[in-house]
Amino acid sequence: MDSSGTTLMDLITADPSSVPSGTSGTSGPSANTSTTSSVAAPPSTLGKPAAQTDRKSKRSTLMQIHSETISVAKALNPVKTNIMPQKQKKKPVSYSQLARSIHELAAASDQKSSQKQLVHHVFPKLAVYNSVDPSLAPSLLMLNQQCEDRSVLRYVYYYLARILSDSGSQGLSPGGGIPTPNWDALADIDAIGGVTRADVVPRIINQLTKEASNADVEFHARRLAALKALTFAPSSNNEILAKLFEIVFGILDKVADTKQKRKKGMFGGKGGDKESIIRSNLQYAALSALRRLPLDPGNPAFLHRAVQGVSFSDSVAVRYSLEIISELATKDPYSVAMAIGKLLLPGGALQDVLHLHDVLARVALARLCHTISRARALDERPDIKAQFASVLYQLLLDPSERVCFEAILCVLGKFDNTERAEERAAGWYRLTREILKLPEAPSVSLKETSVESKDSLPPKPSKDKSQKSRRPQPLIKLVMRRLESSFRSFSRPVLHAAARVVQEMGKSRAAAFALGVDIDEGAHLSVYSEATDSLDTDLNETSSHSEASRKASSVSNGTTGKDTVASLLASLMEVVRTTVACECVYVRAMVIKALIWMQSPYESFEELESIIASELSDPAWPSTLLNDILLTLHARFKATPDMAVTLLEIARIFATKVPGKIDADVLQLLWKTCLVGAGPGGKHTALEAVTIVLDLPPPQPGSMSGLTSIDMVSASDPKSALALQRLVQAAVWFLGENANYAASEYAWESATPPGTALMMLDADKMVAAASSRNPTLAGALTRLQRCAFSGSWEVRIIAAQALTTMAIRSGEPFRLQIYEFLHALSLGGVQSQFSDMHLSNGEDQGASGTGLGSLISPMLKVLDEMYKAQDDLIKEIRNHDNAKKEWTDEELKKLYETHEKLLDQVSLFCYVPRAKYLPLGPISAKLIDIYRTRHNISASTGLNDPAVATGISDLVYESKRTPAEPDTLDDDLVNAWAANLGDDSLWSNNATAMNRVNEFLAGAGTDAPDVEEENITYRPSVGYDDMWAKTLLEASEPEEDDARSSGTSSPESTGSVETSISSHFGGMSYPSLFSSRPSGYGSSKTSERASAPGASRFSDPSVGSSASMFEGLGSPRYESFENPLAGHGAQSLESQDDEPSRSENRQFGKALYDFTAGGDDELNLTAGEELEIDYEVDGWFYVKKKRPGRDGKMAGLVPVLYVSQS
Amino acid sequence: MLLAVLFSNSEGNILIERFHGVPAEERLHWRTFLVKLGADNLKGAKSEELFVASHKSVYIVYTMLGDVCIYVVGKDEYDELALAEVIFVITSSVKDVCGKPPTERLFLDKYGKICLCLDEIVWKGMLENTDKDRIRRLIRLKPPTDI
Repeated sequence: MDSSGTTLMDLITADPSSVPSGTSGTSGPSANTSTTSSVAAPPSTLGKPAAQTDRKSKRSTLMQIHSETISVAKALNPVKTNIMPQKQKKKPVSYSQLARSIHELAAASDQKSSQKQLVHHVFPKLAVYNSVDPSLAPSLLMLNQQCEDRSVLRYVYYYLARILSDSGSQGLSPGGGIPTPNWDALADIDAIGGVTRADVVPRIINQLTKEASNADVEFHARRLAALKALTFAPSSNNEILAKLFEIVFGILDKVADTKQKRKKGMFGGKGGDKESIIRSNLQYAALSALRRLPLDPGNPAFLHRAVQGVSFSDSVAVRYSLEIISELATKDPYSVAMAIGKLLLPGGALQDVLHLHDVLARVALARLCHTISRARALDERPDIKAQFASVLYQLLLDPSERVCFEAILCVLGKFDNTERAEERAAGWYRLTREILKLPEAPSVSLKETSVESKDSLPPKPSKDKSQKSRRPQPLIKLVMRRLESSFRSFSRPVLHAAARVVQEMGKSRAAAFALGVDIDEGAHLSVYSEATDSLDTDLNETSSHSEASRKASSVSNGTTGKDTVASLLASLMEVVRTTVACECVYVRAMVIKALIWMQSPYESFEELESIIASELSDPAWPSTLLNDILLTLHARFKATPDMAVTLLEIARIFATKVPGKIDADVLQLLWKTCLVGAGPGGKHTALEAVTIVLDLPPPQPGSMSGLTSIDMVSASDPKSALALQRLVQAAVWFLGENANYAASEYAWESATPPGTALMMLDADKMVAAASSRNPTLAGALTRLQRCAFSGSWEVRIIAAQALTTMAIRSGEPFRLQIYEFLHALSLGGVQSQFSDMHLSNGEDQGASGTGLGSLISPMLKVLDEMYKAQDDLIKEIRNHDNAKKEWTDEELKKLYETHEKLLDQVSLFCYVPRAKYLPLGPISAKLIDIYRTRHNISASTGLNDPAVATGISDLVYESKRTPAEPDTLDDDLVNAWAANLGDDSLWSNNATAMNRVNEFLAGAGTDAPDVEEENITYRPSVGYDDMWAKTLLEASEPEEDDARSSGTSSPESTGSVETSISSHFGGMSYPSLFSSRPSGYGSSKTSERASAPGASRFSDPSVGSSASMFEGLGSPRYESFENPLAGHGAQSLESQDDEPSRSENRQFGKALYDFTAGGDDELNLTAGEELEIDYEVDGWFYVKKKRPGRDGKMAGLVPVLYVSQS
Repeated sequence: MLLAVLFSNSEGNILIERFHGVPAEERLHWRTFLVKLGADNLKGAKSEELFVASHKSVYIVYTMLGDVCIYVVGKDEYDELALAEVIFVITSSVKDVCGKPPTERLFLDKYGKICLCLDEIVWKGMLENTDKDRIRRLIRLKPPTDI
């Protein structure tokens, strides 16, 4: 909602003592709409085309519009002339009153008192509204032409700009403030009398254009203001754009070309002759306007003017010109480099920018230098590239952190959101290798720098700088030193930014590692340095730093004295780690991200782990931030797959510490990606890391003992306990699904003949054999078995399913072991066996002991059939061997059919590669092959898999089971597929989580954050009235209106929608298309409000994290949120469709006689007036006029007999 | 891009807001988010002490000035540090207009002037003027550099 709107409007409406009732002004209902929607949360009607609000009854809508029209007519037409006396009373004013005052006062603008009124009362109050209606424009223009008072004029330009910037379509300018209705729509309802933007915008533009082109010296302040206001015109209008370009270039033609040398010492703009000051002002205005105009890349004139701007004396103008140039440079680096080449020379304008007192100008310079120094188009001109690179490196010494950090990021190859690994790797290379060689600095600039740095930085670095400026320095050292000092800052933004820079540094470093860029971090920096002596002196100068780095370097590589990249990094990271103690959770999050990125795959991560573990114990962490970190782990994994195990260990902390706050889908995806990425060696560890979740004791409510231990579950509240359970389910499922992959144990690759198992029917022997054969799988099996007993009901089901999956996929003796276990489980017979580890969750486990009998029996049946078929096959083979018979085709066919049948059955439970899987055991392979070859049957019938084809497998495992469907069976990938881990399937497998991860990796996301808690803390102001009512909005209401005040409305009460609407408009509905008030309006809003807090997007942390709220229209997750909107949308479409038909059915008529209105509802008529008849009621027509009458009214009731229908 | 500038009082009532490039349907969430941030962190904060937050690729810097909370939201080149510059310009102009760190009442009294200042500071999602004297001249319709 528009809270400021609510604030102000509530002041007007909510104060019983001063309720203005008849605020027939136009802003009321829309403000109320937004109040409601604010509480009701998401589907704010604000930005929607007004018609979207539900209109259930067409009839009522029409009625509403009629009555609205009346009030609009009242509001928009200044019929009352007694506004001035009323102003003396202290009461809130309405929009309409303000509008009327402006009309009044504009007419008397030559009087001092009117000017004072305008400046002190009317204009400031009008500023609280979102937009001003176009009908004010004529008065504003009149003021603009006639008024001399500068303060009045300043406001006039302000409001003209707002009229221009109002997008019109929704009555919502970017300005914010109290929501106002869609003026144009209102004017349209007025049919004839209303003033729309279309009517006034050309007039405003003309007027402003005239002023902006006025070259009169005395006028030039206004000229500047006019030009600024003009830029607010919508840029979609080509005509206006052309005009603006013409004006801007016109000004620049006059003022840019003059060969004025920027005089040193003119930076503050002090001194200088009148002419040059005016010129500089005009230059500023022209470039400001140019910056707001769309870029014109191919246009040499555009570039030329922008380049000239670099030499202007106004620092804002210089900033804009650099911004424009740097944007142009991304498109056409060659011409830009050619155009500004001269400026870069010593003494050139670009060198001056280095010392310009405008931070953003230097930031733009850094970006420009980076773009050009990295441009491929300039590969033949290494000299130019080197020049720009050198300027970029000089900016590393900039006193402002903003500039320095931008320069670091540019060096690191982080320019925009496009992440290119090569560019990043090259960035890390540059940072570690390059040396800054400062050119002989002119004395002037040195002096300037020290003056300048006084206000933005502690003096020490600047002293350093002036002392060392001539000594070549390795970039990495400068950067590290700068970052370390930034980390000692007390300013949170600086800390946050510094951590972010370190994170980006980690990214570049990871990219360099990944691409194999050879950087020996242990090598002495002096190897690269041309001036080794400077390093030593540096070390002495910055004793505190070097001490730390010496200590670190001795740890890392046993050398002391000279810096290596590794030692510098180590000492930086030391400082970074201490920053985690910052009280701001966002800084901490950024630090942790930085640590994750700087973590090298070959170093111990214990420290990082314990930092994260202790951090997560802090309940202050919002879930969005935690998920952000989780996504960072994804990104880190993508950059360095080697780190899979490390990252899984870290992810595990999230799973155990904050299960309620993280997105389980994203976590699962991370497990999976890491498992694949861990490679053959790490698979086992990876699986362990995931399933350790299962080994955790159940959460102990209220237990605080394990707060810092990572092996302790923290789930003290029901919500996180539930989330933990979901996570355990996920882990169990994951285990069943992936254990075979992790253990590299597959039935179809098993060398053990099936008969072997029969010889080991003794359970103990079997277990022993199993664990000796494959400890990973045996371990997973044990965990699952325990889960099948001790977990909650849901966990047990999934565990049984997981076991079946493993049984089907594993060879012997695992299959038999599971078979026996499942069998026992279904009977409940082994309960006693496990009773020692029986951890009851307080649930009655049913008569069977496990309650899983009915679920397990079909699984057992499949296994039974497989064993039976295997036995039969062995018998058959023996028979054939004994009889020395060849297999007949008939027999083979029977065998093949059994094989296929079993395959189908097995596929119902889990995915197996059909081409390879042999339900009849390895010995059947040969025979089946013979039959296949004979009958030319393709083995790849994966797509005919009935389970896949019919989606039964999905049903079996509910939504969690989404097997991959390979199009073709690539033998190499079969195993990975079997574990559902093929690369493609991996990424397509979990769409929501995937989107989130991809979005994160792409650096997307400027969408609004969600606030998790339901208690939205910003409030519509109720207790606010006094101040506003009595100070800002002192004014009065027409007496007559007071009578209508139908009660106060607290915006928090559910009934307030209706009441406040009526209270504003004396019981009449109001024409805001935002809040068009169908019969069901109040109730629907109310229910929306009620449902909002419970809606999934607020309660479900997975949604609350990072997905754009509007991205997933089709996603069921957003259902509760989207539905109301969708409903509105549909309705709005309908109602739009209705519009034409309504107008087609319009009736028109003509007034036969004059008629004098006898009441507020009635309308004066003049004979001959054209009318539109809306409806008839009790012998009266409700009619609308094409233009307002003398009384300003547009619509009302007239006797039927006074009108002839045409 | 400067996405938003928002003023609220200490109770979370929004006094002024300027959005740029934020879809209307997301504004509600920004307001909620920002005000909640302020409610969680600004209690007892020193005047003009800077706070920082981020959401995906968007940065937020906020502070308390007198009784008024000021939030600025930006992305791309308007990172935390640039936003700190912006908020510094805003606070110094507001102090300039109000004569001191404003009480809520004083702020409302100077509402119109503050809007004009903001108009000079933030122009179509970009930081415009940073010098408070210059801003003071401009809101009186005097040229940026006086003759």
